[in-house]
Amino acid sequence: MTQPILEVKDLRKWFPVEGGGLFSKQKRFVKAVDGVNLEIKEGETFGLVGESGSGKTTVGRCIIGLLTPTSGQILFRGQDITKLKDDSATRAGTKLGIVFQDPYASLDPRQIIKSALTEPMTYHKIAATEEEALAKAKRLIELVGLNEDHLYRFPHEFSGGQRQRIAVARALTTNPELIVLDEPTSFLDVSVQAQILHLLADLQKELKLTYLFISHNLSVIENMSDHVGVMYLGATMETADKKTIYRRPEHPYTHALISALPIPNPSLKKNHELLSGDIPSPVDIPSGCRFRTRCPYATDYCAQKEPLLTAREQSHEVSCHYNLSLSSPIPLTQTA
Amino acid sequence: MASEPHNTSEALLQVTNVRLDFHTYAGEVKALDGVTFTVREGEVLGLVGESGCGKSVTASAIVGLLPENAHVSEGEILLEGQNLRNISHKEMRDIRAHKVAMVFQDPTTFLNPVLTIGKQLEEVVLLTTPERLAEIAAATKASKDLKGEESAKTTEEKTQASSKLSRFERKKVARALSVDVLNQVRLPDPDRILRQYPHELSGGMRQRCMIAMALARNPILFIADEITTALDVTVQAQILELLRELKHKVLGSTLLITHDLGVVAELCDRVAVMYAGNIVEIAEVNELFANPLHPYTQGLMRAVPIIGRPLAGLEPIQGSVPDLIHPPAGCRFHPRCPFAFEKCKIEKPPLIQRGEGHSVACHLYGEKKP
Repeated sequence: MTQPILEVKDLRKWFPVEGGGLFSKQKRFVKAVDGVNLEIKEGETFGLVGESGSGKTTVGRCIIGLLTPTSGQILFRGQDITKLKDDSATRAGTKLGIVFQDPYASLDPRQIIKSALTEPMTYHKIAATEEEALAKAKRLIELVGLNEDHLYRFPHEFSGGQRQRIAVARALTTNPELIVLDEPTSFLDVSVQAQILHLLADLQKELKLTYLFISHNLSVIENMSDHVGVMYLGATMETADKKTIYRRPEHPYTHALISALPIPNPSLKKNHELLSGDIPSPVDIPSGCRFRTRCPYATDYCAQKEPLLTAREQSHEVSCHYNLSLSSPIPLTQTA
Repeated sequence: MASEPHNTSEALLQVTNVRLDFHTYAGEVKALDGVTFTVREGEVLGLVGESGCGKSVTASAIVGLLPENAHVSEGEILLEGQNLRNISHKEMRDIRAHKVAMVFQDPTTFLNPVLTIGKQLEEVVLLTTPERLAEIAAATKASKDLKGEESAKTTEEKTQASSKLSRFERKKVARALSVDVLNQVRLPDPDRILRQYPHELSGGMRQRCMIAMALARNPILFIADEITTALDVTVQAQILELLRELKHKVLGSTLLITHDLGVVAELCDRVAVMYAGNIVEIAEVNELFANPLHPYTQGLMRAVPIIGRPLAGLEPIQGSVPDLIHPPAGCRFHPRCPFAFEKCKIEKPPLIQRGEGHSVACHLYGEKKP
């Protein structure tokens, strides 16, 4: 078996919050990420899916080093990158890229596209001279489907889809091996979203990239990923290959999430399984299994003991005490 | 469906050839370019399209909530035969209070953060007609058997009864109705929710409160503008289920505005597809998904990721949405259309009938096929 390019082991990121009495010693935390485990193989796309507040963006930010984890390990090619200092951290950082969700906020409005692309190259000494950096910027801008003229324009002159193409080009400037795509299409309309998804898939093939694709959109994740991890309230609930997750999920949350999705086909019989209530606050995570307050199968035991993410079969890990036999969450004709 | 000719009497809302511009410093934004559709009695009409296509503007035009710089230059909007275009602000307020209720995407913006849900619901309830208040008062009295009073029978008596209601009684009636609508939207423990402030509720609960406020007015037309877009999938499923339930019992006709074809397929009876200020296709929901005619509708359906369909089956629509200050001449979709020919660049295609209840605005389907 090949070694995974990235391994996340029991990652936690807690943010302290104000509150409690003036003299209370107990600090309270927003447990944004509270026990995430995942493994990304080289050259594949790992889809990380979850609802808002599940901590998926925080995981992405910890991986590329924008946030320092509270505890846990992030192994990039076997090396724990959370422990690196200064220079070596920067060097490791160039191997990781990120594309943010909002293309209107992620580009500096006063910087022309050329500077946005050449700056990281000169800073990380990837290009020795200005000319070399510019030549590479030209190559990249054409690679993402724009042309050289666009280098001399400001971000406000571009549409959302074009900006996201520029953001992808910028992520590629440091020759990364792994790119974190944090909801790269959620700001875009469907007709443009499809363009960006195809661009990302083509670039992956051409440049042999590995992706961590973070999204709340289950259909996009299904289209793009090889393996999928499902997060709920800061922890991984289930990871498996795409087919298993969508057709034979074993965690009740995964099942409910997929069956809740509205299907654009009025002739299909839908059998939505409704979860009751909302996601609890990440400050007061329920005892035992964090999903138990909304789980239709929860028992007293679930409140006492937190289930561990355990392997059910090859590369299928589930965090549930019970071995539930759940039906396929999507109508059969659609799986064909 | 019966094959009877199109009956105008069943049309509750009739929007005909509405043209709307926004005056901006950059120029005239031609946001609506002759929008025509009807909402029939008792149906859910979906208005679907991408951002900027004019679906929300259409809704705002119906309820008279357009910004200052918007100008309707042509067309008419008929609600039960009454033209909403040239009525006074006061009359429009009455329409919004009694006839058309609208719920928006982001409930936080439309709830007052410093008033309790109970206070806000009460305000809405007290807007209702005196007859209805009296009716509810009578019903509550009858159910609680208070003082054994005879409930009012005729409308005049009811009106009199309601004008006789003291402030205290009116408040009591308002509270009873508030609890009733909160129950209808399946909010647990309505008495507690009435005392709570919006920030104490989750997004899904706030949206239920907004729907409750709409129900409290007993509207003849319910307009839902992207009401599940800001919600998570599992919560969205709850709200969709609620709307499905209410559709048969309480809600009359609904105009459902969304960008999500999944939501359309789940909830709508008929669908109107919008692109760049035009209705490009209208059909019954099964017909539209089985047999989309307009190249834009076809493109949209191929551009939506579907579980089980490989990425190769996902086809983008080339280019992007046009700038509506300088919209393309002729058919506004022609620069992105794979089938565009000369005529498309010059002449705007009219919305024409192509089969049972299925209309499309495209030169590919001219009266006589070339």
